[in-house]
Amino acid sequence: MADLALAPELVVPIARPAPDYNEAVVKKFIIAAVFWAIVAFLVGVYLATELAWPQFNLGLSYVNFGRLRPVHTSAGIFAFGGSMLFGTSFYVVQRTCRTRLFGGEALANFVFWGYQFFIVMAALSYVMGYSKSQEYAEPQWHIDLWLTIVWVAYAVIFIGTLMKREEPHIYVANWFYLAFILTVAVLHIGNNLVVPISVFSSQGYSMASGVQNAMIQWWYGHNAVGFFLTAGFLGMMYYFIPKAANRPIYSYRLSVVHFWSLVFLYIWAGPHHLHWTALPDWTQTLGMAFSIMLWMPSWGGMINGLMTLSGAWDKLRTDPGLRFSVTAVGFYGMATFEGPVMSIRDVNALSHYTDWGIGHVHSGVLGWVAFISFGALYYLVPVLWKRGGLYSARLASWHYWIATLGIVFYITSMWVAGIMQGLMWRAYDAFGFLQYSFAESVVAVHPYYVIRLMGGLMFLIGALIMVYNLYQTVHNKSTEPRLVLPAGLAVAGG
Amino acid sequence: MDLDPSDLIVGLLMAAFGITGLILASGAMDNEMYVFGLSLFGFAGLFEFGLIRRHFDRLDAVGAESRRHG
Repeated sequence: MADLALAPELVVPIARPAPDYNEAVVKKFIIAAVFWAIVAFLVGVYLATELAWPQFNLGLSYVNFGRLRPVHTSAGIFAFGGSMLFGTSFYVVQRTCRTRLFGGEALANFVFWGYQFFIVMAALSYVMGYSKSQEYAEPQWHIDLWLTIVWVAYAVIFIGTLMKREEPHIYVANWFYLAFILTVAVLHIGNNLVVPISVFSSQGYSMASGVQNAMIQWWYGHNAVGFFLTAGFLGMMYYFIPKAANRPIYSYRLSVVHFWSLVFLYIWAGPHHLHWTALPDWTQTLGMAFSIMLWMPSWGGMINGLMTLSGAWDKLRTDPGLRFSVTAVGFYGMATFEGPVMSIRDVNALSHYTDWGIGHVHSGVLGWVAFISFGALYYLVPVLWKRGGLYSARLASWHYWIATLGIVFYITSMWVAGIMQGLMWRAYDAFGFLQYSFAESVVAVHPYYVIRLMGGLMFLIGALIMVYNLYQTVHNKSTEPRLVLPAGLAVAGG
Repeated sequence: MDLDPSDLIVGLLMAAFGITGLILASGAMDNEMYVFGLSLFGFAGLFEFGLIRRHFDRLDAVGAESRRHG
């Protein structure tokens, strides 16, 4: 009897019914992500117009560049990116742990609505002129406190779901999501320690000042890129690319090495944002060295993502969603190659404070973050709304090419503009005077600002095509799932 | 009445947030805190309404199901 129990050929896996997953909250986050994506791209296009033609500031304080810029970055990173991360992490953790979300429906709804409330309050405060003036950490202390409450609830749901899992193994995508949740919590609290002048005032004093404040800010800022825009979206990559390609990850061992090396190295790289400042030289060198070491995990992860398609490359012809995901991995590789190059102190002397930085950031956020999100959206919407497939693969393909071309316009124009700015600012004449005034460099980059606007506009048009396609996927009769009858029945019925 | 503990805990927390919002708005020293306080109160009120509505929708659904099965 014991022998029979051990014989592997006799072990039949027991088919278990799928639990009743909480898909309602995932759907809400997906709808919010699509909405905020359009807001972020639209505000970005308007800001690009203001930069090319400053008359578009309209003399109104509410829409001037300084106030709208954090609306654009927050809408892109926290509203669109954040909603995608919350939604997909709730989807992935339930399926890979084979259990419903921990904490009940009310807590999940609190996380959704509480996070949307945070976004609206933050955006409103920016256009009203309230800001801490720290990049990606602009909200005042009371809005930060609200986000902390929402974030703790999010962590409780995610970790609680992991703890009550029905599967013995924690799939690697969940490790990346968990690193994102825990590290962002530490970063957010650490960088936003403020002593309010009164509980009834939005104003307060930062706990750190001077160069310490700058260091803490860029420890936060760079790891917002590392853990919000990278680790979280890598979790998305490790789930949705294998699912869409119907292939296991190329190397599960490499994914684990990728995870630990990435989380260990990223946290040290922040000082490269403060080259040639009052920050001690050794700290700058430390940030630079760790940034260069980041090549290894980044490219290891990229190779793992791309090689997952081994034997399934043909799917790129027929599945535009997968094409977005794979192109995103390519952009991830490019952006994570460029970043360490720019962190080298002598390269940074040329690139810092120029539009090269803007180009670099957008190759990451448009090419990597947005594209991996579009890939996940094209996969998820038919699954969540139980449709037979996408409304139109052709429209998704149009979206892909228009958006890709838009990114190319955007990043190449910013590279040229940035390098030109850097060279103009450091040029001396024969007498040792600066050769160009700052205003001359502004005039010189004007054509590239117009090209950047065209690139952004193309990206927005592509996203609008996606919205139409996804709307039709949910509502059009042609995407209703069809019952496939056995051949005999079909013949009998026909 | 069958009350989901998650509904109860979140409902109580939201009530506390709503009152906090009103207090912040009442003593606000600047526009930002005034707008935030009132918005927090409004948000908490709407959330509570949603919780109550979902609770009774669930009860109605259970009642309809039991009537269908006699």
